[in-house]
Amino acid sequence: MATLTSRLKVPGMSGGLLTTRQRRENFYGYLFLTPWLLGFFGLFIGPGLGSFYFSLTKYDVLSSPQWIGLDNYITMFTDDPLFWTSLGRTFYYAGLGVPLGVIGSMFLAILLNAKLRGLATYRTLFFMPSLVPIVASVVLWKWLLNDDFGIINQTLNDLGWSDPPGWFGDRRWAIPSLILMGLWQGLGGTRMIIFLAGLQGIPETLYEAASIDGANAYHKLLHVTLPLLTPTIFFNMVLGVIGGLQVFTAAFVATEGGPGFATTFYSLHLYRHAFDYWNMGYASALAWFFAIVIVSLTIWQLRLSRRWVFYYGG
Amino acid sequence: MTNRISRRSFLQGTLAASVGVLAACAAPAAPQTGSSVDEDEAAAPAMEAINLRWDTFRGIGSGWNEERIDTFREMHSNVTIELRPLAGSGQQDNYAKMYAAQAAGDLGEVIAFDPSHYHFWRAINKNIIMSIDELVATDGTDLGEWFEHFMSLQYYQGQLYGLPSWGWAGFDTLVTNAVHLEEAGIDLPDPTGHDVSIDTINEWAHAFYSEGERFGLNISHNEATIVVLCRLFNSSLINEEGTKCLLLDDPNATEAMRWAYRLGVEDKILPAPGDIDNAGGALTAGLLTMNWCGSLCVRNFKNAIEDDSIAKAWQILFPTREDGRFPSQLRGGTWNIRQGAENADIAYQFLLHIAGHDGSLSFNLVGGNFAMVRPDVAQSLVGNDPIHEWFIPSLENGIPAHAPANSRGREYTSAVQQWTDLLLDPNQPVAFEEGLQDLHDNIQAILDKDPA
Repeated sequence: MATLTSRLKVPGMSGGLLTTRQRRENFYGYLFLTPWLLGFFGLFIGPGLGSFYFSLTKYDVLSSPQWIGLDNYITMFTDDPLFWTSLGRTFYYAGLGVPLGVIGSMFLAILLNAKLRGLATYRTLFFMPSLVPIVASVVLWKWLLNDDFGIINQTLNDLGWSDPPGWFGDRRWAIPSLILMGLWQGLGGTRMIIFLAGLQGIPETLYEAASIDGANAYHKLLHVTLPLLTPTIFFNMVLGVIGGLQVFTAAFVATEGGPGFATTFYSLHLYRHAFDYWNMGYASALAWFFAIVIVSLTIWQLRLSRRWVFYYGG
Repeated sequence: MTNRISRRSFLQGTLAASVGVLAACAAPAAPQTGSSVDEDEAAAPAMEAINLRWDTFRGIGSGWNEERIDTFREMHSNVTIELRPLAGSGQQDNYAKMYAAQAAGDLGEVIAFDPSHYHFWRAINKNIIMSIDELVATDGTDLGEWFEHFMSLQYYQGQLYGLPSWGWAGFDTLVTNAVHLEEAGIDLPDPTGHDVSIDTINEWAHAFYSEGERFGLNISHNEATIVVLCRLFNSSLINEEGTKCLLLDDPNATEAMRWAYRLGVEDKILPAPGDIDNAGGALTAGLLTMNWCGSLCVRNFKNAIEDDSIAKAWQILFPTREDGRFPSQLRGGTWNIRQGAENADIAYQFLLHIAGHDGSLSFNLVGGNFAMVRPDVAQSLVGNDPIHEWFIPSLENGIPAHAPANSRGREYTSAVQQWTDLLLDPNQPVAFEEGLQDLHDNIQAILDKDPA
């Protein structure tokens, strides 16, 4: 029985052979794909598989790897006091920082989507902190949040708080300090831009219809803006959780994991084993476990999204 | 014959090409171990063109390295030295780069794995650096040119592996803002006197503290400080063999930590971790009276002062121990030659060139490092600035650093810092006995690990 394609006459194609033009297009297509694919296999898949192998070995880079099976994974769960605590701290950081960041950026975007005079200036001002290099940002915030001489605590003192937080120097406040710094830098950044794009994709007609039905601004926000923004919220949440769980630079620069391990996040713990202690096999095991955690969380978020993400016209 | 390339076959081809690329990138075998110097190589013709690679992060950007290369080349026109600056974000990053270069078979011939950063012994155990005993003997080098204790840091298991580069007595000093003492009507103590007692330090730490305005004393929680704190109380943090933590076993070490605990946790007059990031800056700004540091910090403090009415550099040395030694931790760096390096004899001549009087002196004055590792350089530095006279007694009567026997120096220093943070945390205090037990146990756990 003849197939559908064999019975259809496609212009420029005969007998399953490609035309010269199509061959040329294919050639260029593959040609331009090749560098990316070489990088993908050579710099991502290859090293990834390599690290999985190393995770089953004792390896310090300078000596040949010694096969130890699952020992690194067993050690991780049973004999590494910093494994669970660093994992917990990482979830604490992401669990608090990501929702605050996403909600904050969303409301900032809603504000900056209003038709105000000088809107471009406001948008630029809010976007500017995200352009500050993270090391400069850390230096700035360490001065601002200095326990004894910082302007924030001086102000809190003036306002009557006699024993303000120790911020970076206080184990209870070290992670909130990093979150605060991250919010300053991230609220008005690319996440806000994505929300702005999402807001501008909401049809004006829906707001007009709501107005005719007597909806006030709050009703419009609740019943028009938020539902239609859920795909953007979801997108930012997924990226935020992945980024939040990988928190490293701010803690590495600001607190070096201290005080007393208070900001030793999972990535920092992994980094130390890899590049300070040269336990590369163990660090690979830590990396693979964490990769599985992040992928699992992302899949869970994707499944959960069916319940609350609304695609207009979808 | 079809001209089609299926997606599957294309992806398979790309994968195969990637595997080929990865295989081609496989690191060449690290240089083999063996005899330290090949005699044929040592007898190479004098005018043979020779190239050496110098991998270092010391002195980079100051012009010191280039000056040393140029002056060496004036003496040996057939030798070119390729300077390959290591520019990691911190010293430890640069060691990581050197380990990676070694693994890739690309480490230079002239290198440095400093004992002070606990990489020296590891590098020897991993056959990265070579013994230079034969080169010293062939050259007839007088090893008495360097201070004995910095020379002693260059030995491991009876063999010599390097020549001293930088060196100081560790955190042996209270770097002091003399303005505060003068304002309080206190006669400045003799900077080399070792005559200020622990009780007086304690009293001044309280007296100069003013909440929200100034700290009287800053004690950082790093290993360099904690070691000297224990030595001040006639003990140490770990034993000489590097196998045992002394905090619970030696009552003097326990008392040392209790002294710091009282100041930091009970009296709450010491900066909490993170309160003072830049102690040198705080001294210069008049926000701190005494900073527990070392002679290098005194020199830097003196050079940083812009307003004499706010800050004036002084030092207080800790009282002499019962055994007559000064509480200190002699720490130092090294210059090494890579194991299996070609032209090791020429590399050794270059080592002498950078570790000799002129090289060492300019390493201080141009390179910005603290390198009082030679008596003749110490004298030259005193001529340059009399303040250097203050630092010599500790060099002559100090106590060497003790390193973990298993070469796990980074894990050790990290454990000391973080667990001391917990013990001395004024914001979430733990009971002294509990905090000390944790600190002790976690240090011992590192010392008990297999060799790195």
